[in-house]
Amino acid sequence: MQQSSHPKPIRSGSQTHIAAFNSSLSRRDFLKQSATATLLAGLLIYKHSFAKELSTSVSTKDFTSHQKATLESVQLQLFPDDGDGPSASNIHAYRYLQWALTDPENMADGDKGFIIEGIQWLDNLSKQQHSSNFITLNPKQKHQLLEVFSHTSKHENWMSLLVYYLLEALLLDPVYGGNPNGIGWKWLEHQPGFPRPDNKHTYRHFLYDQDSGKSV
Amino acid sequence: MKAPSVIKPSSNSVQDADICIVGSGAGAGPIAYELSKAGYSVIILEKGGWYTEKDFFKDEQLSRHDVFQSQFKDERHVLNEPNDDGGWSNDTTAQFWGGNIVGGASNFMSGYFHRLKPVDFRLVSIFGKIKGANTVDWPISYSELEPYYTKVERIVGVSGKVVKHPHLEPRSTKDYPFVPTAEHPIAGWFDKACHTLGFHPLPMARGILSKPYNNRRSCEYSGYCGSYGCSSGAKASSRAALLDQAIATGKCKIIPYAKAFHINSDQKGNATSVDYFDTNNPEHTLANAEKNALSIQAKIIVVACYSIESARLLLSSPGVKHPNGIGNNHQQVGKNLHCCSGGTGHGVFEYDQFSKQQADDLKIRGPFFNRALQDWYVIDDKKAFSKPVKGGTLDFVFDPPSPTSDANSLKREDGKLLWGSTLKQRIKSSFTQSKDFKFEVFCDWLTNDDCHVSLDSKEKDKWGSPIAKVKAGFHPHDMKVAQYLVDRGKEVMTAMGAQTVWGNAFSAPTSNLIAGGLRFGNDPKTSALDADCRVHGTDNLFVSDGSFMPNGGSVTPTFTIYANSFRVADKIKEQLS
Repeated sequence: MQQSSHPKPIRSGSQTHIAAFNSSLSRRDFLKQSATATLLAGLLIYKHSFAKELSTSVSTKDFTSHQKATLESVQLQLFPDDGDGPSASNIHAYRYLQWALTDPENMADGDKGFIIEGIQWLDNLSKQQHSSNFITLNPKQKHQLLEVFSHTSKHENWMSLLVYYLLEALLLDPVYGGNPNGIGWKWLEHQPGFPRPDNKHTYRHFLYDQDSGKSV
Repeated sequence: MKAPSVIKPSSNSVQDADICIVGSGAGAGPIAYELSKAGYSVIILEKGGWYTEKDFFKDEQLSRHDVFQSQFKDERHVLNEPNDDGGWSNDTTAQFWGGNIVGGASNFMSGYFHRLKPVDFRLVSIFGKIKGANTVDWPISYSELEPYYTKVERIVGVSGKVVKHPHLEPRSTKDYPFVPTAEHPIAGWFDKACHTLGFHPLPMARGILSKPYNNRRSCEYSGYCGSYGCSSGAKASSRAALLDQAIATGKCKIIPYAKAFHINSDQKGNATSVDYFDTNNPEHTLANAEKNALSIQAKIIVVACYSIESARLLLSSPGVKHPNGIGNNHQQVGKNLHCCSGGTGHGVFEYDQFSKQQADDLKIRGPFFNRALQDWYVIDDKKAFSKPVKGGTLDFVFDPPSPTSDANSLKREDGKLLWGSTLKQRIKSSFTQSKDFKFEVFCDWLTNDDCHVSLDSKEKDKWGSPIAKVKAGFHPHDMKVAQYLVDRGKEVMTAMGAQTVWGNAFSAPTSNLIAGGLRFGNDPKTSALDADCRVHGTDNLFVSDGSFMPNGGSVTPTFTIYANSFRVADKIKEQLS
């Protein structure tokens, strides 16, 4: 196991957290931690320009059927049914993604607009190389195209964001729509804590429910 | 940056109390507990919500979305850190919020409860001055705080076992009132390795109940502890251990979602009232404070809202006798802030290198590692330092589980994104083929002229008050001490049989272990508080969080904050009687 593969003290600009107290890995730190600094700066700047223009106009709409088919197909490449552990479809990755993109912070980051834009980039490359959209390719062609696609850092960031949501679908509590019956936990031999959240006590209830935390 | 002057809320928005406390964490709990039990009326202003055991689910999303902390968009900090090129960075961050919730950050602590030692109170007398550091001796001795540590062990509930070792601090009781919490098998491996190396393995005392006490259940060993709220009440949060009992007296009232922004003072310089906003009311802003602000008038006002914010509140509260912020006539408010210097290290144990039984032992989740080393609390090693220096503590711990974050941290290798079966195999291997044990090093962060809090001249929070600016300069001496201890931790991990071992000292501020900024002392020219933690230049304004500490000691500070707050409670009782 490589040292680089482990969470390190978070330097998000750049304080250190240690387990002795609240060492929460917030989602944002997490995005920062998980990409190299240069790539990340690019992604954030890019996403922010989207946030301004698109967060209200795009994020409330559903994906089109073409967008949905493309995303499901890309997710299966990123997290395939390879005989070892659940696939993207087994962990309900698409359904989870749809729900996660309704999170106000994710909306403010312009994630949905960025994801839709990426589908176009991918189709453009597919048309260049195969004269047709990504979803029409066979599995081998899809894999090879994504390999080429990932060589551009902007495109790789797009794939990275999809992986980010995929891994949330794999390991967050099933109450959030992914990881059905703890399929991801079982595969990774992870023992969840208890009590587990129920559908009246998700993080969104704590953050956005008017009656949350008023008194005992 | 000048803060707003006196606010005068309309009279129908004013409440009276004997004591008003700003904040509800470890510095606030003992004051509320002691004073309400003594029959005084107490009002607590807490910026966050009021949650209890039934709200604390083991859900990674709660911390990923900072559910119990101020949101970045509402209120943040400016952070200046030293750059590699000798300049200073300038960023904004939300990382210094420990817990904006009734009970404060103590809800989310791991609860490693080490006492300070006599040496921590007399660093200058014992080790001499260090150039570039502002170290001072404390105005009180260990023996004055000792009875209060004992009180915390009994009232707040500390579990553990006292073991003799070269740096054991004097105790007035033989042992902790609660037996140790359940231990992970790795603790046995640790003890064996330490004995081989000639070190003194210590069971670590915890602010966690090993048996039920005062309507709190015992630890239930869910394996999700540090950074998660406690659903059994075993963790000694200020709310579970103290505030619930204070409320039960009928004399203590908590107002959640109450953001204090200004302390008023009179012609004599004494504090008269605290102004606050209801954070759920969008009309409540500084611009229309005269119309909307709420206020608590009290005989005694206590500030305990975490080092950075306590200094910010004082700086934001000028008055007739306090033109630069209350208690700041000698420019000491916000000065001598300190973090916890130190480092972390890891030992990775690969299951296939051990017997089936050993591997099964390593996989157990629930009980605690609970081990520490204090052999180098003072380092006397001529090969490393020309004379004895203050050292520190090594705690051997489990990282709080955060599987989603862990998996995401594996998605890049050498900067390149992994995907497909390659990614799946890497995640599977990391989760199922080995166990990563961690150690954390705690040393003093030497106070210095480049580590302090001030009000930012540009940025304001959502209510219109200037936000705090944190300058986090560190002293190079700290890195040397930390590295020395990290190396000892690596020796232990290797002796335990880890296949991969590494560790690093760090100079970045530990955002959840900040203290100082309003240090206590006898001289108003070099301290912000007197020896009783009363703000200089006032008779009735106290600070009872970690701000008072001239140095942090080489341990996490919560136990000491609790103890000192009980001491301050006695001083306040004396003053009121």
